[in-house]
Amino acid sequence: MVLSFDCEMDADTFPMNFLPILASGGLPLHAPTYFSEERMGVPYLEWLTSSMLATFLVVGIIIYLARQATRQLEIIPGPSQNVFEAVMVILYDTLEGIVGKHMVGKVFSLLATLFIFILTANWFGLLPGVGSIGWGHVEGSFRNIAHVEEPILRPTTADLNMTLGMALVFMCFWVYWTFSEVGLVSFLKHEFGVKGGLTGAMAVMLAPIFFFVGIIEVVSIGFRPISLSLRLFGNVFAGENLLTTMITLGNTLGMPGWASALVSVIVPIPFYFLELLVGLIQAMVFVLLCSVYIQLSTSHDEGEAQH
Amino acid sequence: MITPLLLAEAVAAAGVSGSIALGVAGMGAGIGIGLIGAKAVEAVGRNPGAFGKILPLAILGMALAEAIAIYALIMNLLGK
Repeated sequence: MVLSFDCEMDADTFPMNFLPILASGGLPLHAPTYFSEERMGVPYLEWLTSSMLATFLVVGIIIYLARQATRQLEIIPGPSQNVFEAVMVILYDTLEGIVGKHMVGKVFSLLATLFIFILTANWFGLLPGVGSIGWGHVEGSFRNIAHVEEPILRPTTADLNMTLGMALVFMCFWVYWTFSEVGLVSFLKHEFGVKGGLTGAMAVMLAPIFFFVGIIEVVSIGFRPISLSLRLFGNVFAGENLLTTMITLGNTLGMPGWASALVSVIVPIPFYFLELLVGLIQAMVFVLLCSVYIQLSTSHDEGEAQH
Repeated sequence: MITPLLLAEAVAAAGVSGSIALGVAGMGAGIGIGLIGAKAVEAVGRNPGAFGKILPLAILGMALAEAIAIYALIMNLLGK
């Protein structure tokens, strides 16, 4: 008996030797956001896409660096421990200023993890090789720029699954923290209740208006995970495409070989700095927005406790 | 029902290539970020010691204002 794989591959689309081809032309402009990597016939590993491989690498890097730095904790810290302490202190003070002392103990682990992970994942996508080494086909001779269609590694946060997962996890925790801190009845009163200290007949007349305001508020709360995930995904994905376009600019304009190689080294330099800045800002914005959402729904606890 | 057809005809006749939604969203985002930047710089000018407090607020506002343009960009990249 003969076992045969059914691989569903065209012989003219992929080269039959699966050696990764070094390519300086990266993703096509409409880059699909993930690829099913293990299509060599292994049916149980279809979830392992390029960006998931990058996720594992990013997590491995973070854990390795953190373990190295906290190996022997000392009172007067060495350089690596100092960096981590500085990051922790800055994050803790910022979050405590926004969320409030009574919530920061519960909230800090998730938000600090989100910040460090998103920052590292954004910056990991800028390393040379992410998005430009992979399978593809070569146009012309080896000295021409190959066209990569399936990169091995893609940036983690340029995958909508990742950012949507992070936003949904945050929303689940937000619901749990709100209800455990404030309570269901108080939360509903905060959303749908009559505000402004009105009592009596005025309150009864204005109650339907506030009810509809509460409905709009619920819609805006439901929109939050979508906006959080789309903002991060859009920024990182657009930045990745921008870098790829700039790097292959010489090739698309049809310059001779040496000029396009020179252009593809010099022109992306300001865009790399832009992507560094955008990666940092988007991680910061994600975490700041999450902390503001928590503060909005758990903060009136303080106002009532002070009298 | 007629109006979208007319709009598509007008767009094709004018020779516009690209996305109108992205253009308008980009314009709105540009104006918004410019306003936030102007107010932030004015606030620092009035109180130069508060630069460290104003900067994260300004960056947060700019990222929120730019998010709308990013939504339009994603819709354009995914083929409307």
